[in-house]
Amino acid sequence: MPTAGQPIARRSFEPKALRRSVIRMAYAGSTVHIGCAFSIIEILAVLYRKHLQGDCRKPAHCTDRDYLVLSKGHGIMAQYACLHELGVLGDQDLDAYFGDGTRLKGLSEAHVPGCDVTAGTLGHGLSVGVGLALAAKRRRTAQRVFAIVGDGEMNEGPIWEAMLFASHFKLDNLFVIVDENRFQAMGSTDEVMALGSLSAKFESFGFDVREVDGHDESALDAALEALETHRDGRAKAVIARTVKGRGVSFMEDDNKWHYTRLTEATYLAAMQELGDG
Amino acid sequence: MRPTFSRLLTAAAQADERVLLLTGDHGYALFDEFRSKCADRYINCGVAEQNMVGVAAGLAKAGFRPIVYGLGAFVPLRVLEQVKMDICYEKLPVVLIGDGAGVVYSTLGASHQCAEDVAALRAVPHIRIHSPADRFELAYCFTEMLDGERPSYLRFGKADCGDIHTGVPDVAPGDMIPVRHGDAHVGIVATGSMVSSAVKVADEFGNIPVWSAPSIVPFNHDQLAEACRKLRQVITLEEHSIAGGLGSLVSETIAEAGVGCRVRRMGIDGKFSELCGSWNYLLAYHGLAVEDIRRTVVAALAA
Repeated sequence: MPTAGQPIARRSFEPKALRRSVIRMAYAGSTVHIGCAFSIIEILAVLYRKHLQGDCRKPAHCTDRDYLVLSKGHGIMAQYACLHELGVLGDQDLDAYFGDGTRLKGLSEAHVPGCDVTAGTLGHGLSVGVGLALAAKRRRTAQRVFAIVGDGEMNEGPIWEAMLFASHFKLDNLFVIVDENRFQAMGSTDEVMALGSLSAKFESFGFDVREVDGHDESALDAALEALETHRDGRAKAVIARTVKGRGVSFMEDDNKWHYTRLTEATYLAAMQELGDG
Repeated sequence: MRPTFSRLLTAAAQADERVLLLTGDHGYALFDEFRSKCADRYINCGVAEQNMVGVAAGLAKAGFRPIVYGLGAFVPLRVLEQVKMDICYEKLPVVLIGDGAGVVYSTLGASHQCAEDVAALRAVPHIRIHSPADRFELAYCFTEMLDGERPSYLRFGKADCGDIHTGVPDVAPGDMIPVRHGDAHVGIVATGSMVSSAVKVADEFGNIPVWSAPSIVPFNHDQLAEACRKLRQVITLEEHSIAGGLGSLVSETIAEAGVGCRVRRMGIDGKFSELCGSWNYLLAYHGLAVEDIRRTVVAALAA
């Protein structure tokens, strides 16, 4: 495994390849949350490819790198796939997923190099990200915090506390990216806890908001680019309209892929669709 | 104790530029000195304790040394999950202060009283728990907390019970501090506000040994076991639930050490304060008044 200090080469973060890594892990570990990972693949690809500055493996107290806060920890396999592409994780990490004594868990954990928060408990990560953004402001560094929040996660009260705080303390180095896949564990967000317009909500909290197709990489890139130029005291939000399970036809918008494990047949079918040659 | 606390906070910020004070819109006069001398280190996070603890975790990750202040009923109780996952799981150097611990807010009722904080935190790995009895123990605990690169909690209870010591104790981390010596077969181990009550009763008898426990985690188990070998009964005293606090700690320690000394736990025993009144009224309500302690000592001596 490469250690901090050695440069990491920029990779392509090709979405199909990332999804193949997720399927590879999920099958090896016989695990769930595939749909949660698939909806944020393009978001992570765009962030890692272009927006996250500095070496993500460096400790959090370093002042020359941005932070990636995966507040919706259930999408962690997507981040593992990116860290695999960066070489921070190796093939054996993917293939031994959930094996006895291994360290990669089913939710985000800051003990993993490249992961900045422990956020399996929903509604925690954004507040920690807000603290990192405040720290950067107080130290007058150029660091930014990109925090990925799930729309289901927005049921949690502390998310709204964090939004109030970010706006009040003018954290314009904070970029909240909402994975609006319109599903949560037990059903659609409309069925479980209707969220209404997230853009309107963030705007009413004082955020500078862009709403985009969360699987359109150039649209995501353009939205982030536009927000990054606005250091006007407003915290930023990208409402990314996504599809849970995106990338494999039989998983798209089918919430059972929140909690269903792969069989040999579904594994092979998914890999075939994702162009495993 | 409160002027000492204010002075210690201000001195900590002046000595270390990483120190920040976060409050959940509480503190009033307690922070006047801090706000006038270290205004830019004071962050009022609003009435939003869960976010405040997460923000403190983020600041600590980035190298700051946050001191998070709240009422004990909220910090650490309301935010227990944030303390567990955001701070303790990553062993971040965040200092938590729980003010008004016990039944200090005697007229406000159960919502602002706190008898569960030590019990809750004792089950969480990596966090140190301090419970000072006077301004000197407070200074000792404060130094321990700020010197350590780890999570810590200060249980800040009734603050005007008078001095126990004449100077800052010089003891090892986790040690109990003997505050009264005696050869009776009954002894008292007390913490926080209850040390002063224990001393009052012990002084009436003249031969009852009393120890103050300013540190719940870590705790010198050997010291306690050794002390209890000379006793037939040890009385524990705390303005906290008898489940999970000092009484539990003492019971567990001497049971595991195989010491044949009986334990009588005095503390809050499975009830909320359903009535209101003065702090002293509520102590009596919970069986923690000086008379209750005296009666318990007399019974123990006769046993």
